[in-house]
Amino acid sequence: MRFTLTWGLGGMAALLIMQQLLTGILLGFFYKPLPVQAYESVQHIQSTIFLGQLIRNLHHWSGHVLVVVVFLHLLRVFLSGAFYAPRRANWLVGLGLAVLVLMANFSGYLLPWDQLSYWAITIATAMLSYIPFIGISLQELVRGGEEVGASTLQLFYSIHTTLIPLLLFVLMGYHFWFVRKAGGVLVPANNENAEMKKQETVSVMPELLVREVSFAAVITCALLLFSMAVDAPLGDMANPGFTPPNVKAPWYFLGAQELLLHVIPLIAVFFLPLSIGLFLICLPLVGNKTGKTHTLIKSLFIGGAIFMLALTIIGIWFRGAGMEWVWPW
Amino acid sequence: MGVAMVTKKSSSRRSFLSKIWITLGLAALLQVLAGTVFFLVTGRKRQDRPTAQLIQIGVIADFPSGSVTLIAKGHFYLARLDDGGFLAISRKCTHLGCAVPWVAERKQFECPCHASLFDMTGNVIQAPAPRALDLYPVSFERDTILVDISNPIKRSVFSVEQVVFAREAA
Repeated sequence: MRFTLTWGLGGMAALLIMQQLLTGILLGFFYKPLPVQAYESVQHIQSTIFLGQLIRNLHHWSGHVLVVVVFLHLLRVFLSGAFYAPRRANWLVGLGLAVLVLMANFSGYLLPWDQLSYWAITIATAMLSYIPFIGISLQELVRGGEEVGASTLQLFYSIHTTLIPLLLFVLMGYHFWFVRKAGGVLVPANNENAEMKKQETVSVMPELLVREVSFAAVITCALLLFSMAVDAPLGDMANPGFTPPNVKAPWYFLGAQELLLHVIPLIAVFFLPLSIGLFLICLPLVGNKTGKTHTLIKSLFIGGAIFMLALTIIGIWFRGAGMEWVWPW
Repeated sequence: MGVAMVTKKSSSRRSFLSKIWITLGLAALLQVLAGTVFFLVTGRKRQDRPTAQLIQIGVIADFPSGSVTLIAKGHFYLARLDDGGFLAISRKCTHLGCAVPWVAERKQFECPCHASLFDMTGNVIQAPAPRALDLYPVSFERDTILVDISNPIKRSVFSVEQVVFAREAA
């Protein structure tokens, strides 16, 4: 097989998930999923427990890096056309995993119970209420009540620590098994240059393994160093009576939130996510026999990705208090 | 021929049995699903949702005309308009649910999240908020003001009928 720079993203995601499991279990020993106590237990973890701050930092930063890595992995798989048969089903499993990773990050967002988590989750779940017909009840279902409160925290905690890890591991097993079943990690090559490809390839064992392990070591070191240098934020305790200025949804929803300022809510929080989801799900079905992606689909995908990326970047760095336009420098 | 008949018979019996198994399995699955759904739904239901949850705010004289007072325990503002009428205005922005502070200098509600502006009656001055702030029903018992905080009333704009006046006799 051939190595390129985009390889290793899948392995990296798996590594990060394992890391999240380990740090998550450690944090779970001392975390209390109740308002006020949640915040205080996070403070306790950070200030009195040996290495507590570092472990929370690792869990926090790896969680965000994981979302980025999963997006990049999806992008790479798309660009190399690795979603056509026989990898059609695995593309769907991968999409399910991506949704789970997003849900994991989102449900974890609330747990520190500081102002940032409380209001970010309030805003993000309020976006649900714009979905026609079922929006209000969906919002109430997700919040476990009318407002973000104790029942929301408990719900998010059990989803974050039980449901998602379980589903994640089941789907991950499936994902890997499918890779083997589809004939390894190599993307199906065109017949005419198969001969040429063969000369450049090496066996997966041990070449890829060695590469992945050394890559994993590098990533772990980098994350460790970053977590030693930069603390995960913990603001004031959640206060339902006071919304701090400059409050935003989690960054991966900032594209939708930014869009919400410009178009009617129905498009931003309903039609757009729905069409993105349907587009990704239907992607492997509209392929052709050569295994090459249609130019129109390719440009649609890349255009959409750039559009959402631009909106997200604007949302993260160019919006200050009250969503006023600010320059990040 | 006899053998063939037996095989056919046994295979059809087998397929019949496996159909029963599949039906039973589906029924069991449905039961599990329905049980889970009911478990979750009844678990979410509040113990007792009173039809009205009245809280006492204070006496009428405490609220001068043209004032807006935060009632923190009820998550709303009590506004007394210039004509002496009352409105209990929800603190929750109709855009994305942020808590809206009252800015007395400019006499408007200013949302910190997306800069929606509302006037003293809760009407939208500046989008993105799609509709006026919710209201709570106001009533009076002699000269005490009561507000029902159990069910906020959604409205698109302010209209004079929403304003509640204390009876002059009180």
